[in-house]
Amino acid sequence: MYGWHLKILRVNLTTRKVTTEEVDPKIARDYLGGRGWAIHYMYKEMDPMADPLSPANMLIFATGPLTATPAPTGNRYMVVTKSPLTGALAHSNSGGEFPTWMKRTGFDMFIFEGKASEPVYVLVNEDQVEVRSAAHLWGKDVHETTDILKAETSNDARVACIGQAGENLALMAAIMNDKHRAAARSGVGAVMGSKNLKAVVAMGNKNPPLHDPEGMRALSVETSKNVGVDVKKGSNMRIYGTSYVPQVTNTLGILPTRNFLQGTFEHVHNIDGDALKDNYLIRHTPCYRCPLSCGRLTEVPDGPYKGKGEGPEYETISSLGTGCGVSNLAALVKANYLCNEFGMDTITTGMTIAVAMEMYEKGYLSEEVIGMPLKFGDHDAMIAMIKKMAYMEGFGKDLAMGSYRLAEKYGHPELAVTVRKQEFPGYDPRGSQGMGLLYATSNKGASHMEGDVAYEEVFGVPVKENPLTTEGKPELVKHFEDSFALIDSSGLCVFVAIRYVFNKDRMIWPERLSEMMNLSTGAGYTPEEVMQAADRVYTLERMFLIKAGSGPEHDTLPHRMLHEPLPDGPAKGKVVELDKMLPEFYKKRGWDEKGYPTKEKLMELGLPF
Amino acid sequence: MMIRVKMLANYREILPPEAINGVVELNVPMGTTVYDAISKFDIPLDDTSVIVLNGLTVELDTPLQEGDMVTAFSAIAGG
Ligand code: SF4
Repeated sequence: MYGWHLKILRVNLTTRKVTTEEVDPKIARDYLGGRGWAIHYMYKEMDPMADPLSPANMLIFATGPLTATPAPTGNRYMVVTKSPLTGALAHSNSGGEFPTWMKRTGFDMFIFEGKASEPVYVLVNEDQVEVRSAAHLWGKDVHETTDILKAETSNDARVACIGQAGENLALMAAIMNDKHRAAARSGVGAVMGSKNLKAVVAMGNKNPPLHDPEGMRALSVETSKNVGVDVKKGSNMRIYGTSYVPQVTNTLGILPTRNFLQGTFEHVHNIDGDALKDNYLIRHTPCYRCPLSCGRLTEVPDGPYKGKGEGPEYETISSLGTGCGVSNLAALVKANYLCNEFGMDTITTGMTIAVAMEMYEKGYLSEEVIGMPLKFGDHDAMIAMIKKMAYMEGFGKDLAMGSYRLAEKYGHPELAVTVRKQEFPGYDPRGSQGMGLLYATSNKGASHMEGDVAYEEVFGVPVKENPLTTEGKPELVKHFEDSFALIDSSGLCVFVAIRYVFNKDRMIWPERLSEMMNLSTGAGYTPEEVMQAADRVYTLERMFLIKAGSGPEHDTLPHRMLHEPLPDGPAKGKVVELDKMLPEFYKKRGWDEKGYPTKEKLMELGLPF
Repeated sequence: MMIRVKMLANYREILPPEAINGVVELNVPMGTTVYDAISKFDIPLDDTSVIVLNGLTVELDTPLQEGDMVTAFSAIAGG
């Protein structure tokens, strides 16, 4: 076989035993790679009811068959585990360089199980695998940890690690790689912290052999050139990265503002892409071999928010920025740096502070409890809260449990804008109905990265859909969910790979992606087969959720989305009409009317029932 | 009647210098459609652009009313 190494590294942190395993080629093919392989192993080996922060949870790093190949954006990996924030699945995607280096160790996937008796890091240098003490790293932030580990291993090594937030088991802890890139969501960093695993260091030269290296190179060059407007000079992603998006969502009235009390932000021009570019941008930074290069190195050169790093991305602007009513750009940039250094998901961090701000303003949280006033727009208080969360100090202990647990503890769970206890990303679904259905049903709780129908409803990619209607949305959501499961399993980045899954009529049909997978693996996939494999992955994840107690009874939206109409903007007066979409969605997925996959569907996909 | 045209992000470059925050005001005759207004500007009028009226998805032949805002941006996946 090509493309995949068909090799897994398994590290039991309790016993420190390291084993390598071959992957059955049929399993490799049927589950694609990355996210797909990970759920296959979790479903087979793990008790879905296990406590996510216990040694029984599995923490999986998984690359795909296009990672470390010439395929443009073939630089991604997935972190898959049971989420301590949601109790459902976490599958968080990240790029940068670490994933490529990880695949060059000669393993497609690392499985970490058990719990080390003291802080450790794992070094994987091809077949030389060591579990080493991390006593000297515990308490250090992501930047310090990365620098120390490169100094004591090799400059050619790449590092994925947790910061203080992960060590302290904050439920918004991320796993950071190459300092600035994040497998951010669902508390994956807390799982790593619970295993006393501070870092993973990867190095090696084992590029995966390709089935058709010449064909792969030719299609990659052609893809880079022609795959769309995105990679062309002067495109929004080239100029701004994702920071141009606040202008778009503000225009449509779906920019989360003050904990979703509003859909437009009056100071958006202070914190959007132009303001960032004109004030703090140094240069663009790509993930490995990416023709788009949407990352941005930025610096606040002086003043109280002095710092240097990458970002912020749109999702940070819409959570720590507009979500908290914050219009001070320097403070927002600094808040983003702090989250990266402590290793925190900016969405859950920002929206948890946002709900605390609303509760403070409504009198449900007092200054005594918080330790200071916490009004919307108070950027210094926001920054203080981030530090408290990372270190679990005082009120930070409550914040570090995420917005749902915080709001519930203080008597107002209806104010938490979450699904499966995970905070919403930057698209108010009252003005983007398909996103509402996606959030309600996603296997990882509210998330845009589970099948971003905003690409059609908001951005017109591949075609523009009316965001305010519900017709056709169930099918569209299924299409996007399957496409994202496919992209996440292949090792690509959605920003460009979404173009790999259109046909020439701009409909979602993965001709180019299946061809790419064939040139890499030689598996001879048809587009139908890769779409069916994606459906298999998505459905097996759903089965895991059902067994984990996070089944269809959680397919709903918070009070604000169903019962409080948007007060402003183009979507004024709208709530999410979930009941108009959910039954048809279940049908499109081949699930029964209660939301359980039918026996026929499981048989069709070759899944156990 | 007076209407406004707004360009977002990279499309701002094609606006005349008098534009403020990406917005220009235009005096147009009654019956002017979204298409008429936006075709005065040098942006692609195919599915590589997204064009909305007061933030809403409409047909391009929709007639404009006094005070309307037509906004255009480049169709590209982000977020
Ligand atoms: S599009 Fe952006 S996030 Fe994706 S691989 Fe390229 S640089 Fe990285």
